[in-house]
Amino acid sequence: MIRKDAIKIASDMICDSPIISANGYISRDLFEADDKNTNFYMIGSMGLSSSIALGVALKNPRKRIYVFDGDGNILMNLGSLTTIGKLKPKNLIHLVFDNQSHESTGGQPSNTKNIDLYKIAKSSNYKAFKTNSKIGLEKILRKIKKINGPIMILIKITKGGKPGKRITHSPVTIKKRFSQNL
Amino acid sequence: MFDLLLRIGIENFIGVPDSTMKHFISQGLKKKKILITTREEEAIGVAAGISLSKQNALVFMQNAGFANSISTITSLIQLYEFPIIFLIGWRGYLKDDAPEHYKIGRIQPKLLKAIGIDSKTVTDSNWKECCKWAMKKVNNSTPCALIIKREFHD
Repeated sequence: MIRKDAIKIASDMICDSPIISANGYISRDLFEADDKNTNFYMIGSMGLSSSIALGVALKNPRKRIYVFDGDGNILMNLGSLTTIGKLKPKNLIHLVFDNQSHESTGGQPSNTKNIDLYKIAKSSNYKAFKTNSKIGLEKILRKIKKINGPIMILIKITKGGKPGKRITHSPVTIKKRFSQNL
Repeated sequence: MFDLLLRIGIENFIGVPDSTMKHFISQGLKKKKILITTREEEAIGVAAGISLSKQNALVFMQNAGFANSISTITSLIQLYEFPIIFLIGWRGYLKDDAPEHYKIGRIQPKLLKAIGIDSKTVTDSNWKECCKWAMKKVNNSTPCALIIKREFHD
């Protein structure tokens, strides 16, 4: 399963719940797959999607807030897992699309080939799930609807596929429409 | 200062502790309004999420953390126009402060100016006006910084 396929499946099943998506190809793929007012695309500030989502989750306890993160991204902000794990927001669902590389910058290797993010999530008070297939991902996304967060879904993907087109909305437009639709 | 900011509309205080403002932080902890993060950039991310949810947020940090955060401030806070208040402890203000603070302390005002964040240095006599100035900035959707000089040694 390549990133583009995994993002399309997740986005379709999440419907209109807010999504905070990490910078780079993740946001570009989400934009191309399903551009919605409830998507917050990050352009810069690599690593911070989980932190932005934590702020949104704490202030909107009745909505389920999804994070579309990458392995390179979360490795830059592992501390956020401890902050989220301490606060235990029930409505935060953290998807990590893990291709064991920095694909947006040329496919250089990341550390998740040797380090198990699933275990780190579990020891940070997350309920953790992992999959490497489309059917597995659909199953987990259905299952977690009845489970309280924080939840991490570690999605092992393979590199490849043409990256999505660049996001054409301005950052301020992305912010305003997301905020109005919360 | 904490109580005044809370009263005039800042509901959320997120950051990494700095001894220069330890009384400010303990007052916030007492009122259960403080969230402590692992790094300053993380605090800025959480503040952006709170701002997306239409609440006001202040991020506190030492200037060493401010130096860490410059890219996050330019590529998240300024790029998306999040009206966040930064409260920054100014280590290295005194010439005989600890050596690791010397360089950033010396260029602190220039750094703020270079990235285009308006700031005011808080003193015993102007702190109320500073808080109101910062709130006005927030209401005009502009980020800004309040600086607290480190005028004592541990």
